[in-house]
Amino acid sequence: MSSFVDQIAALSNTFFIIAFALYCAAFSLFVVAITGKRWSGRDPETHARKWGSFAFAVAVIGFASHLLFFFTRWYSGGHIPTSNMYEFLTFLGMMIIFAFLVVFLIYRTLVIGVFALPVGIIILAYAAVFPNEVQPLIPALQSYWLKIHVTTAATGEAFFAVGFAGGLMYLLRSIDFKSRAEETKKARRAMEFTLFVALMLVAFIASVFSFNAAGYEASFKEQVTYKDKAGVEQSMEQVTKYVLPPIFKPHNSVTVSVTPFLGIKQPLLEAPSWMKGASSGRKLNTVVWSVLTGLVLYGLLRLLLRKPLGEAISPILGGIDPEDLDEISYRAIAIGYPIFTLGALIFAMIWAHEAWGRFWGWDPKEVWALITWLFYAAYLHLRLSRGWTGMKSSWLSVIGFLVVMFTLIGVNLIIAGLHSYAGV
Amino acid sequence: MFENTKCECGHQNPLGTVLCESCGKPLEETGNASEPLEMRYDGMARRSQKTNPAVLDRVWNFFSSVKIAVYLIIITLLGSALGTVFPQENTFLNMDPSTYYKDTYGTLGNIYYLLGLSHTFDSWWFLTLLYMIGTSLIVCSLDRVLPLYRALSKQQIRKHHNFILRQKVAYQGPLPAESDASHAEEWVNRMAAQLRKKRYRVHVDGTALLAEKNRFSRWGPYINHIGLIVFLLAVLARSIPGWHMDQYIGFLEGQPVKIPDTPYYLKNEKFTVDYYNKDEMSAAFAQKDENVAKKYETQAVLYECTANCSDPTKTPDLKEVHRQNIIVNKPLVYKDLLAYQFDYAETPMLLSIKPSLSNPQTGEVYGSFKLPMINPPQSFDAGPYHLVTKGYYPDFGLDDKGQPITKSKDPKAPAFIFTITGPNLSPDGDVYLYFPRQIDKQNFRQDDINGAIAKKIDLAATSMEDVEIANYTSYLNIRMDKAMPYIWTGAAISMIGLIMGFYWQHRRVWLRIDDGTLALGAHTNKNWFGIRKEVAAALNKTGIAVDGKTLETGGSPK
Repeated sequence: MSSFVDQIAALSNTFFIIAFALYCAAFSLFVVAITGKRWSGRDPETHARKWGSFAFAVAVIGFASHLLFFFTRWYSGGHIPTSNMYEFLTFLGMMIIFAFLVVFLIYRTLVIGVFALPVGIIILAYAAVFPNEVQPLIPALQSYWLKIHVTTAATGEAFFAVGFAGGLMYLLRSIDFKSRAEETKKARRAMEFTLFVALMLVAFIASVFSFNAAGYEASFKEQVTYKDKAGVEQSMEQVTKYVLPPIFKPHNSVTVSVTPFLGIKQPLLEAPSWMKGASSGRKLNTVVWSVLTGLVLYGLLRLLLRKPLGEAISPILGGIDPEDLDEISYRAIAIGYPIFTLGALIFAMIWAHEAWGRFWGWDPKEVWALITWLFYAAYLHLRLSRGWTGMKSSWLSVIGFLVVMFTLIGVNLIIAGLHSYAGV
Repeated sequence: MFENTKCECGHQNPLGTVLCESCGKPLEETGNASEPLEMRYDGMARRSQKTNPAVLDRVWNFFSSVKIAVYLIIITLLGSALGTVFPQENTFLNMDPSTYYKDTYGTLGNIYYLLGLSHTFDSWWFLTLLYMIGTSLIVCSLDRVLPLYRALSKQQIRKHHNFILRQKVAYQGPLPAESDASHAEEWVNRMAAQLRKKRYRVHVDGTALLAEKNRFSRWGPYINHIGLIVFLLAVLARSIPGWHMDQYIGFLEGQPVKIPDTPYYLKNEKFTVDYYNKDEMSAAFAQKDENVAKKYETQAVLYECTANCSDPTKTPDLKEVHRQNIIVNKPLVYKDLLAYQFDYAETPMLLSIKPSLSNPQTGEVYGSFKLPMINPPQSFDAGPYHLVTKGYYPDFGLDDKGQPITKSKDPKAPAFIFTITGPNLSPDGDVYLYFPRQIDKQNFRQDDINGAIAKKIDLAATSMEDVEIANYTSYLNIRMDKAMPYIWTGAAISMIGLIMGFYWQHRRVWLRIDDGTLALGAHTNKNWFGIRKEVAAALNKTGIAVDGKTLETGGSPK
């Protein structure tokens, strides 16, 4: 590769960091625009307008920088950067910001920024957990459908993400956190759990970054048998590297090296024997770490706020009409649904027909795209024909986004299949 | 029981009507009078609301229920999710499911297999669900689209007060001061002009007004459903014999192979696999030192058999009809036939050799001939010598009695037994054993077995140019799918319906003025925010100051 292209590649990464920083800044500004209304010595309307426009402008500049990242990476890599998990997630994050900008321009409600931006920011931070070097394009991906299918599917999903943010806002606005009544207990608990799941993801990303920065590493080796092309069983030694300290080591493995952490020099436990999928030991370790650090983070926040998180956040939504939030959530999903259908099902079928010779093969990724589609179809029918609005509809939009995330990430981490080249 | 369904305006409504078909007055006072009106299908009676249903009606009613449709969707969704827990049987080409799931995934895998979940997507219950969804799509759509069409094509301009004021967006108040009762019609015309600017179709009847736009978006869901029905029918049509074919065939380089059930033969002339070199990779990736394939390519030639196609004793007459390089993402397409690059294997195999017959003592070359490994001819001539093939063993080996046998039909270790006649040889001919591959020649000690004759003549290829080798077998997925055009048509119709239904909204505004008091109601099937803004803007421009937000009355305007 020429040095010019290398320079562009380096520049591309800088644009990404700038975009990320600007999104965080825009988020903080939106928070100031809303909470600052009650500050003394100012007119609430003017304050909100001024800071809101400022926050929006910063988000737009961040998006522009993100676009620069995208196109410079495209130029330096020679193919559209949507070909592995890192690239896909950064693109999804970009489209979530785009969807936020669109919905914001329709409704001009500042609080959307407080909830939709963090969804994009967390997705981008999560993207950075995956290896970020430009990889050569394997033959299966060498098609212009890579540009069309992946981008439209991600755009549809980005609108679902904004629909999720809207649903979450509605719930935080409408659940009565003050009451201790039995009827609202379920809703309050479910909301705490939803927020805990989000915190878990944040805690996971934070720990990966911290341990990476500290140069932490642990590795294990194990004997694995596999069948070669001729169908003969072969045995080879496989080394698994851990980024997070090993609570669980892979089943039947030998410790190669472990950087001591809090005096722990040996893995505490071993993954159970039935977990023998590809790097399942490491995945188990990651899940346990996420839950533990998530609990720690949640506990710290509870101590700090001295009340449930939902109750602590809900005042920020005080002045907003809940019906507007319900409509924002529904509108985002209604915009996203046709785009998702086109990108994740129809374009996917056309490409599958061209690349694999069948338009539909019940590959796990395909099935989960169908599940997502069916889920939102149920959402729309319940809303339009059975009158499920408000609370029920908002919970569905939250669950729907979980289904989307599982389709995008969970399937690759847990089930794999033909889409396994997506980088994990 | 006979129910009176005649409205006070004199219109006779069919049983099951919620809102009078003519003036819109709510017919049954069910629920809270301050709640917004139920505007679905404009309150029309549907076939599924028949009293005293017969069996067929009951079936119709079952499938016309959206609740049932949602249940079907949810069950299908859960079933599909179960089907992704372990890989499905069709993911593997050669596998025995009765042992595979147990061996690979343990007891859980065995239960999965025994429950039939290892082939979820062609199980009877999953297919039944799909058929039921298809039926539900047809029945639900018919049950609703016909009444809706009737309601929308004959709308009354002057609606009942209860109808107007119980809309979700409604307004009631005096006309602007300057326009008294006599100016009511003039105000209505100004309002009409404002709404026309927003691209409404406006109908005025004295002091009553009906404005409507984007009615076509109401047909979106039904067009989407039609598309889905076409799609499902097309999927069903694939089970028609001859509509669908799917097979995996290995093509050794240089050999035409018959494609079963078709008149076609396909030859893989050459298969190549390219890898990325380091300077095509990014610096960071190049450090990982991984090999990444860049291109798999089969240079394919398609032949059509014109004669001797089914007679195994004769060589078929092949006519070249198509020639194309097949790469991933670029299948061979000829009429209905599709051939996809699927896999490859390195299978070095001798195809033909052109040995020279020579004198080992003097080195004098008598002549040479071409010897193919597949269907070799019975006899050859090399200079003054004549060779007759007595035996051919493509994959030479010895059985337990020491007798020569062939282990397979592939020319992996070919051996020939020739009877050679010519100068200096016995008149009946001498037997000569010939191994074309150098390695077999040494392993099986060709010269020792041939003995004396090996001193008189020698059969060997002199250069690599005389040897034709197939290095690869390319596996192609050969397909035919006559339903594809219908599948794409269904998908396209569906998509058009979705766009119509989701990116436009049907909006209607009704108003009437009675004694200087305006009553206005507005309805949309989606995006209340938008219609509120539009109505408020029109009212503001005609002298009535309102804020969009206050129009959302929940059915009881202040």
